[in-house]
Amino acid sequence: MHTLFDFLTHTKAIGYIVAFGLLLAYIPFWKFLTEREREE
Amino acid sequence: MSISRRGFIGGAVGAALTAGVSEAGTTRKFEGYPGRYGLLHDTTLCVGCRSCEVACKEVNGLPPVEAPVDDPGIFDTVRRTSDTALTVVNKYIEAGGDQQAVYRKIQCMHCNEPCCATVCLVHAFEKTPEGPVLYHPELCMGCRYCITACPYNALAYEYDNPLTPKVMRCTMCYDRIKEGLVPGCADACPMGAITFGKREELLEVARERIRKYPDRYINHVFGEHEFGGTSWLVLAGEEFGKLGLEEGLTSEPLPSIATSYLGVVPLVLTIYPGLLLGMRAFSKRQEEVAKQEQEEAVAQTLEAAGEETPKKLATAAERAAKDKERAVAAAVKKALAEAGEGADS
Amino acid sequence: MTDTTVDASSLPAEKPGFLTPFNIITSIILAGGAVILGIRFTQGLEATTNLSHNYPWGIWIGFDVMSGVALAAGGFVISTAVYVFGMKEYKPVVRAALLTGFLGYFLVVLGLLADLGRPWRLPYAFTKSAGPTSPLFEVALCVSLYLTVLFIESTPAALEWLGLKRWRKVVGSMTLALTIFGLILSTMHQSTLGAMFMSVPTKLHPLWYSPHIPVHYFVSAVAAGMAMVIVEGMFSHRAYHHQVDISRQHFENINFGLAKGASVTLGVYLAIKIVALALEDEWHYLASGWGAWYLFEIIGFFLVPCLLFAVGYRERKLVLVRTAAVITVLGIVLNRFNATFIVFNYQLPASQRYVPSWMEVWVTVAFITFAVVVFRWIANRMPIMYEHPDWRGQH
Repeated sequence: MHTLFDFLTHTKAIGYIVAFGLLLAYIPFWKFLTEREREE
Repeated sequence: MSISRRGFIGGAVGAALTAGVSEAGTTRKFEGYPGRYGLLHDTTLCVGCRSCEVACKEVNGLPPVEAPVDDPGIFDTVRRTSDTALTVVNKYIEAGGDQQAVYRKIQCMHCNEPCCATVCLVHAFEKTPEGPVLYHPELCMGCRYCITACPYNALAYEYDNPLTPKVMRCTMCYDRIKEGLVPGCADACPMGAITFGKREELLEVARERIRKYPDRYINHVFGEHEFGGTSWLVLAGEEFGKLGLEEGLTSEPLPSIATSYLGVVPLVLTIYPGLLLGMRAFSKRQEEVAKQEQEEAVAQTLEAAGEETPKKLATAAERAAKDKERAVAAAVKKALAEAGEGADS
Repeated sequence: MTDTTVDASSLPAEKPGFLTPFNIITSIILAGGAVILGIRFTQGLEATTNLSHNYPWGIWIGFDVMSGVALAAGGFVISTAVYVFGMKEYKPVVRAALLTGFLGYFLVVLGLLADLGRPWRLPYAFTKSAGPTSPLFEVALCVSLYLTVLFIESTPAALEWLGLKRWRKVVGSMTLALTIFGLILSTMHQSTLGAMFMSVPTKLHPLWYSPHIPVHYFVSAVAAGMAMVIVEGMFSHRAYHHQVDISRQHFENINFGLAKGASVTLGVYLAIKIVALALEDEWHYLASGWGAWYLFEIIGFFLVPCLLFAVGYRERKLVLVRTAAVITVLGIVLNRFNATFIVFNYQLPASQRYVPSWMEVWVTVAFITFAVVVFRWIANRMPIMYEHPDWRGQH
């Protein structure tokens, strides 16, 4: 990573991937949280 | 350190909330007051005699240095500026073999875009056209945010003063400059390690020295661009990181990083009321719809029940009577059983 | 909190004397605090605090201001839920939350008065020489306005108590406007408190520094506010059980609702903290010593309560919810302490670091005690825990 452009290319790309991963992780979290609630 | 990168990102303050409102997004560059003064500190010439410290205290009317000026023990610890010492000389590299001892004088750098001034909520700092950053104690409430914000740890506070404490820092001898004199430290330096002059000219001097003696100097003038540049410029023969100066600082002025978020504040003020009232209207409407649906459902049921009501009431009454009978029978049975148990035990 | 003194208000016939254990301890703490403040204003900050040129901010800023504002967020969170989003089931706790919020901000002002070099110049920012470039200017403006809003929002209880029906109606009619204004001010200054640290990119460790720090502060404050309402309920519901006019079930459901909200909020906070790592490519710092401290904070005080809240909500376990709430409150304080003085100037050697003096701790404890005493005084007299019979079901 020599230029700001290289750095941004790297971090922005990782940023999208991490954010998308977190979005997916939210689904099981929400399911776990509201499972009993839906059963009632 | 990734300060430069962080600075850039800080300036762009990307993502979510702040996109596009950062002040650093401006395409204009502020050049600063033309012809302002500065000082050049050539650390390769400094021998650590501390004459500048002595002169500084004299000029500013501060208590004289405690230890004898030539006491070598003073260099055992790395000192910083305080409320009674506006400049101090530290030894950063020990002498040994070919290596000469390396000293550096520290004091307020008098930034081109001072962050102490930016974060002051009573505007007690001022960047003068002559170059020095001045502090006005008559406005200061003593929040000490300026001391927190200074990237060079150059500001100090009179903690021992109960009622009228002030922030203490180098003034670049503003009064002397106005009289046409040279700042106390530059005047006192016997080695010519401190040069006073117009900042632009000092930059030329510094570059000239690097060009003439490429082996003697690192090819960098600290303070030319760091956080938007400073009035004090530093030349060194060793990496600046070894001399207690952070290397690779962004050239973006610290104030633009520090205030980039504040542009969002008026947006909150203008967006929220409409947004929230809309949400409230939405949740109220939902309630109303739910209520209406419920009423309709009840009405429908009643209507449907209308014809059969008398018949239903009759059967209900009948069922109730039967239930009651059954309940009485069950209660009697239970009581008998309990009585039986009681007799058994 | 001992139950004896609290019960005394409802049973005036058996009123014990002033010398209850609670009152004795409180008096000692407050008197000690007054003495220390006396020293501070006669001999200076040096005589009372361990502040230094490198650490100009200690626990009076780190706790009373930074943490105090975050923990007082319950007021705007609950009032917004009830009055803007129409979540009426939370109405029974709205007054306690607003009163806690008001006292929290009052604590902020007390902390500032002790910490500022020349506190009597506090109004200078508005009357003499404004510095609108400073994040602190924005914070000062918002805090002073919000303190006023919280005061007005807390007056209905006092007006009902005093029987001033006309004034009570006037204030009641302003509820929605005040709530929205309070939310605006809170969004602004909760985040700007974080923005105050944007000016120290070289001094605050990269794991804590982020261009998104204002958002981090706002989101964590929302979680802290909800946790604080649970913690506050933990004490006051027991102490004022004879006043509370909602069923045990309703009270528990409020806690579970808050637990669900806090769990999701903490989840969001964790997510944006991870995003901040990614956007600045800071993963490698996690392997360092400061990285371990960071993980301790983020896992021990944010991930753990997030999961505890989730399990507590799911399984309807009040104990877990309350444990999680206490951990969250501690976590917020740790996070604010980190930024203010623990991770601040992280390059400095251990010998130059800041550790609060016992006098600073005492004064902070005295301020909290003072807030608790005022809360009790008000809750013992005014309709905070219950609805005034004349005003049932109204704003």
